[in-house]
Amino acid sequence: MSDQPTHVLLIEDNPGDADLVRLRLVECKSAVDVNCAGRLSDGLASLAKDVPSVVLLDLNLPDSRGAETFRKVLEQAPNVPVVILSGQDDEALALKALHQGVQDYLLKGSLTSAGLDRALRYAVERQALLRSLEMSRKQQLEFKNQFLSHVSHELRTPLTCIHQFVTILLDGLAGEVNAEQRDHLKTILKSVNQLGAMVRDLLEASRAESGKTRIEPRCVSIADLIHAAVAMMQAAAHEKGVGLEVGVDTTLPFVHGDPDRILEVLINLLDNGIKFTPAGGAVTVKACAVPSDPDFVYVSVADTGCGIVPEAKALIFERLYQDPNAVDNNRKGLGLGLFIAKELISLHGGRIWVASEPGQGSTFSFTLPLYSLAKLLFPVITYQGCLRDAIVLLKVDLRPQSKPARGNWKETCQRCLDILQRCVYLDKDLVLPPMTSSGPEQTYLVVASTDMDRVPIMMTRIREQLEKVADLKASGELTLSAEPVTLPGPADPLDKQVQEVANRVTEMARLALGPAENSKSARRDAPIAQREPQKMENGKWQIIKS
Amino acid sequence: MANHKILIVDDDPDLRQALRLRLRANRYDTVNAVDGYSAIAVAYKERPDLIILDLGLPAGDGFIVLDRLQRDDKLSTIPVIVLTARDPQSSEQRSLAAGAAAFFQKPADNAELLEVIRATLPKGTAALPS
Repeated sequence: MSDQPTHVLLIEDNPGDADLVRLRLVECKSAVDVNCAGRLSDGLASLAKDVPSVVLLDLNLPDSRGAETFRKVLEQAPNVPVVILSGQDDEALALKALHQGVQDYLLKGSLTSAGLDRALRYAVERQALLRSLEMSRKQQLEFKNQFLSHVSHELRTPLTCIHQFVTILLDGLAGEVNAEQRDHLKTILKSVNQLGAMVRDLLEASRAESGKTRIEPRCVSIADLIHAAVAMMQAAAHEKGVGLEVGVDTTLPFVHGDPDRILEVLINLLDNGIKFTPAGGAVTVKACAVPSDPDFVYVSVADTGCGIVPEAKALIFERLYQDPNAVDNNRKGLGLGLFIAKELISLHGGRIWVASEPGQGSTFSFTLPLYSLAKLLFPVITYQGCLRDAIVLLKVDLRPQSKPARGNWKETCQRCLDILQRCVYLDKDLVLPPMTSSGPEQTYLVVASTDMDRVPIMMTRIREQLEKVADLKASGELTLSAEPVTLPGPADPLDKQVQEVANRVTEMARLALGPAENSKSARRDAPIAQREPQKMENGKWQIIKS
Repeated sequence: MANHKILIVDDDPDLRQALRLRLRANRYDTVNAVDGYSAIAVAYKERPDLIILDLGLPAGDGFIVLDRLQRDDKLSTIPVIVLTARDPQSSEQRSLAAGAAAFFQKPADNAELLEVIRATLPKGTAALPS
């Protein structure tokens, strides 16, 4: 340790004990200065101002006792070494303190000057070591991520080259190919695609590990996603002679999830199921609501394959795990698929698990949270235990003028949504998760805690901000409209009132977005009074033009 | 009417050749550029109807090319499709924000790429390939 004086913050309420500690510290050979606080609140205030070398902490203070005391100090200053100085010889408490990050637990009775000096110096050293270990772990993780990102980029170039020329040969662009050659080329293409998927998984897993995976939840139909995934895997199943069956409750409610990521999970599970099921077997996807767990939808992918041994069940979602006993004619993957699936489902707030017996097949199940408007609305439309005085539903329609390139328009809409989210009040307005629309038109809905008189001001603000999106002005048309939400009577419990508002908003949104079949023509003919500008009637959309 | 002309910007000669074969088979004419600097020069000289742009390029990467195309009155109307080995999570939004009409990660699905090329090409400038 250097010759720099050790700054000790002593948090101790007993003046006698404080003096004793001070005395012992002064007797030490090392240079020490002591700052004393008699209450936890004073100690925390001092920690907020400047950082001592070490905190000496009594647990029983006028404003805090026991474990609560060190928990608060660790929370306030997680990087400062904390040494407890206690009158009670409580081994259980001492261990608990150490597990939570306290460096040492000393007893007041057996305090010698040399012992205290050494304990403090070692506490400082240990804390410094821990910090540098943590830093180097973070650096290594960062380095590994950069390396993987670089590698997967470099691998993609030769991979692309093989992919391109194989498809050129297969498509006959370089002359006729006979049937046998075609088969070989298809095998190459299949392997190239596998390699591409592995490169993608590598990057995805490293991202998941460092908490950089992002999801963009919306209101989505799980039934549609299952049908899409099954359609994508049908060819592979057919080729292997494995049946692919779907059992989806058609009345399933929407879930709150990222459609691309859920599709990824489904495809991964289906791919595994098909891979481990012998010809003549079947893979079945089911989705249903479970009455005992009403906030989630349950999805399962069951196969009639070789099953999983009990020891492997706990490990199967770990990174890089591969069943060493799996008898499989196919190539193994990297062992990242289920790890990524677990990360994605957890990010959605769901669970994923497997039930299996060796030789009896496996059933992978996961849950996804239901899209609950009431849950999203509750903090926004209630204030101090009551419903807000007035609630309005705003509709922001974006319509492209001519048919632009899809990348551009999609990007324009996304930017408008970002801006919209930024120009509402987070505590009293809610931008509803966008519905997936089939056409280029995009409608965003905002539930706003305001009354119709103030809507024009809000709309002017939104319009001014949205029109800053250059492409929107150049290539699209913006229409804003609003309709008040009729509020339920105050007699019901608050939960019920919020649910009632959610139901009304849902019904209004359904009308606003057109009939459930989001075919373009149906949407355009939706019975919304949007072609009657400047006209205000109860229950009709009021268009605000700037 | 003449075929549409597409400028391929990629530093990898094999990838340029593959893309050229694929585009010619779909009745597009192609011209090449091998780096960021020549991309702008060739775009000036050849006035392509569309540019397929790699991001990792010597002498000015793809984002610099996008920026220079956007700033140039004569070139800013040419649609650009980004085709790169880079990770979409870090480059897709940035490419679209910089003015690209679409983003594809390599290896791209041929049918999808051709469909987006068709949809992105300015209408009425040349005969549409069948």
